[in-house]
Amino acid sequence: MANDYRGDGREQEMSLEVKGCRELQSEVLAKDLCSLCGACIGMCPYLVAHKGRIVALDECTLPQGRCYVFCPRTSLDLDLLSHAVFGAAYPADELGTVQEIAMARARDDGIRSKAQYGGTVTALTCFALDQGLIDSAVLTTSDENILPGGALADNTAQILDSAGSNFVAAPTVAAFNRESGKDIQSIGVVATPCQALALAKMRASPLDNRNNIDKLKLVIGLFCTWALRYEDFARFLAAKVPLGQIVKFDIPPPPANIFQVFADSGRTDIPLDQVRPFIRPTCDVCIDMTAEFADISVGSAEGVEGWNTLIIRSDAGRELVEAARAKGVIETAPLPQENLDHLKQAALLKKKKGLNKVIETTGSDQDLLYLKLTSEAVKGLLS
Amino acid sequence: MTSITAYEPGASQLLMGNEAIARGALEAGLGFASAYPGTPSSEIIGSLAEVAGEMDIHVEWSVNEKVALEAAAAASFAGVRAIVAMKQNGLNVASDFLMNLNLTGTNAGLVLVLCDDPSALSSTNEQDSRPIAKWAELPLLEPATFQEAADMTKWAFELSEEIKNVCLIRSVTRVSHARGDVRLGELVPPSRQARFAPTALGQFTPYLVSLKHTLLHQKVNKTRELFESSSFNWYTGPERPELLIVTSGSGCYYSLEAVKTLGLESSVGILKLGTTWPLPEKLVQEHLARTEKVLVVEEVDPFLEGNLKELVGDTFSALGPLTFYGKRSGHLPSIGELDPDLVMGAVSSVLGQERVAMDPEYAKKVQQLTGGQVQARMLGFCAGCPHRATLWSVKNALKLDGRGGFVTGDIGCYTLGLGPTGFFQLKTVQAMGSGAGLACGFGNLAKLGFGQPVVAACGDSTFFHAVMPALVNGVYNQANFTLIILDNSATAMTGFQPHAGTGASAVGEPAPSVDPEGVCRSLGIRVEVTDPFDLQATTHKLLDLMQDDGGVRVLISRRKCALVRAREEKAAYNVRVDSEKCLGESCGCARLCTRIFQCPGLVWDEESGTAKIDEVICSGCGVCADICPASAIIREVA
Repeated sequence: MANDYRGDGREQEMSLEVKGCRELQSEVLAKDLCSLCGACIGMCPYLVAHKGRIVALDECTLPQGRCYVFCPRTSLDLDLLSHAVFGAAYPADELGTVQEIAMARARDDGIRSKAQYGGTVTALTCFALDQGLIDSAVLTTSDENILPGGALADNTAQILDSAGSNFVAAPTVAAFNRESGKDIQSIGVVATPCQALALAKMRASPLDNRNNIDKLKLVIGLFCTWALRYEDFARFLAAKVPLGQIVKFDIPPPPANIFQVFADSGRTDIPLDQVRPFIRPTCDVCIDMTAEFADISVGSAEGVEGWNTLIIRSDAGRELVEAARAKGVIETAPLPQENLDHLKQAALLKKKKGLNKVIETTGSDQDLLYLKLTSEAVKGLLS
Repeated sequence: MTSITAYEPGASQLLMGNEAIARGALEAGLGFASAYPGTPSSEIIGSLAEVAGEMDIHVEWSVNEKVALEAAAAASFAGVRAIVAMKQNGLNVASDFLMNLNLTGTNAGLVLVLCDDPSALSSTNEQDSRPIAKWAELPLLEPATFQEAADMTKWAFELSEEIKNVCLIRSVTRVSHARGDVRLGELVPPSRQARFAPTALGQFTPYLVSLKHTLLHQKVNKTRELFESSSFNWYTGPERPELLIVTSGSGCYYSLEAVKTLGLESSVGILKLGTTWPLPEKLVQEHLARTEKVLVVEEVDPFLEGNLKELVGDTFSALGPLTFYGKRSGHLPSIGELDPDLVMGAVSSVLGQERVAMDPEYAKKVQQLTGGQVQARMLGFCAGCPHRATLWSVKNALKLDGRGGFVTGDIGCYTLGLGPTGFFQLKTVQAMGSGAGLACGFGNLAKLGFGQPVVAACGDSTFFHAVMPALVNGVYNQANFTLIILDNSATAMTGFQPHAGTGASAVGEPAPSVDPEGVCRSLGIRVEVTDPFDLQATTHKLLDLMQDDGGVRVLISRRKCALVRAREEKAAYNVRVDSEKCLGESCGCARLCTRIFQCPGLVWDEESGTAKIDEVICSGCGVCADICPASAIIREVA
């Protein structure tokens, strides 16, 4: 992964604004733009996550803070990040930087039955650990009250334990922040798009404190269209299903339009329209569905049943997939053109909706809130 | 501190004003003393408690001022001389009883000492207690010197018995807490013939109110006559002063010093009144008739000033034209303490002279005399104070809860939670017990759209004083709030007096201990107990209680006062800072310990850019090790 963007002579035209915790609160938290990725926490005593909220326990008055710089909802210069992560400009198209798109699934039936869809993420994470590419993986797990959080795994059993989709926003990056200072050398993170953006911002950060980002060797991105607020959703759900009994969630492909809750006692279907009010407002201004700043991105969107859609973005991602394929850990197949077209349409629709919401919020296409995109890029995406 | 009985009669001894009052009471044959502690009154009963054993008298810390006065009144009813002391706020608590006791009357001498706190150095208000004398129609004495503090107290018992009513003494901080020479009298043992013997017509009650009120007026008239010849009133100055200063209490020394400094002894006279209600009218009129200008010097309200004007209004024709100066005219402030400088300014202004200010070197000289001895420090919690730890957890719990919860505070050391070392957590502070009382109201506003969690805070001593009725009210009226009892096992703010929950009596003997936890449980309240030094557990217990909506919940945060602990035990930990690990001002810490936590045992070392432990001040509680984000504060078991 290229991260030496500073040497390519483009720093004059690119910028990553550096402010502090007070601005993070006024520009992001107070405006309900927080995606709860967790990038701002786990580094200091001031900001903590509590039941799906970022809470400032005390006032930090530093003018420059990692919390502000790492936040994917501040000063998001996609070109700069693209140079930092991929060593190339940001392709302002549907899917971002792409080397290859395929469909994939784990060869291991055990993994497939435990994981969501094809089990590709679980298989690749276990494989990366087995091969020593990483010595620890930062994953998302949920407690008995479905409150999700980041956790460090260093063996297959732990990875299998946290398999499955999580629809509630989780401060997973906090686990990277907390753990990366410890005696571990190479870390992989399974990240949602906003979490992957935060990790990319860490790579691009001009601050002296590197936050051990050099230990980050692999980001496996997850497709995501939205995530839910924890507190009121949990309250809503608890009235229907005892939270402690919930095993997993799923949203079957359209036109079902339902949110499925699998519990020990059986399955409960909730109309998706009843769940949507709990979507975090920040998801409405998000333009990244496919985790464009990961090494590889995996999802089910517009895919084939029993398989994942897999996007290889970086060289590191390609090497991992190729090795896993060679060792028979995963199998891949070409993604049918129709499905690819649908995927692109869906990703583009998210970008259009996000941009329109941003412009509606600011009242100007010159002010894109947290986004830094050229006018041409905006025009291109909205055309 | 040597006890107040240690000196021989006839000796001149340096005594604190409050000790002089206590000594005066012992010289009057005191048998019973009671009070609830309150600055600046506490040393009166405190010093009596120390000698209660040898004098074989009853001295108690009562649960509140009303009970203290009631208990002392009973002693008086039974023929035992009794004294009660309280600060100005305490008078309000006691006033319900006092406004019946005045009509009822007393038997053996009963003296009520009111210690006011001008400038509110240790109070939530700077109420002037003196109007209660006028309101309750009771005699009022104001000592100006330490000798008077003793002598007036002694005489107050005689006066009380002469008129069969309570006698009031009003002191202020600078009389109560300063020290001066007092020539001592004989210690007199109390009467040991205590017996309650009401007669058919002599029941102890204000009933037959009109009759009793008439009798009360007669008592006031009798008192006025006695005051006319009191040696506590005196005059110094020329026969016909250009300006007459009328003063009482602490104003006396300020006036003497001002006139002397200005060199105006030949033109300015001082009428010092020790008996300020009812006014010795003849004496006062006599002096008013010899001048045209009157400056009234008193702390805090224009009480004397108003009464003088009232008197002039009654006898207008007998007096020449008079102009009054003082608080109403703006020559002296009607807030805060006075000092010689203020009086000098007022005198100069009235006489049309250029204002002579205090020697500008004065402050410097004081500084030189005390410099280096007393370190300037922020008004805040002591090193190792459990309240800091509790309020740290309160702050975090309220933030984590996120519903805009707040703390209604109360009176005690933890009142400092209004400020930075309590992280500004207290949002209301009124009277004793008002935190829980306000919580009863806030906690019953849900129907009116209120959704914020309410947390009331009180100390252990305050709990017994006035919180219990509010707690019962909350239970009965189903108010929704959490009460935190900051139980540091002492009435710490006023000097570590024992109370109903400490297992010790005022005189240091074992006493039954009333357990707040048991009291709360008996009311059907969910009670959790926490160690405030366990920040995590305390935060989570409070969060859990706050979210357990409905009714009253109680969290008892229990840790002995750090100062009491330091006298009894050695420090738990040796604490040091690993300066290699300390993040200082960097992102990731930004001086959390010295900027936010602000224990005085932690100091910021500008040079190295790291925190350090001030080993002299650090009490070794080790709590800061738990808040350090870099684990740079190391605590090792001492």
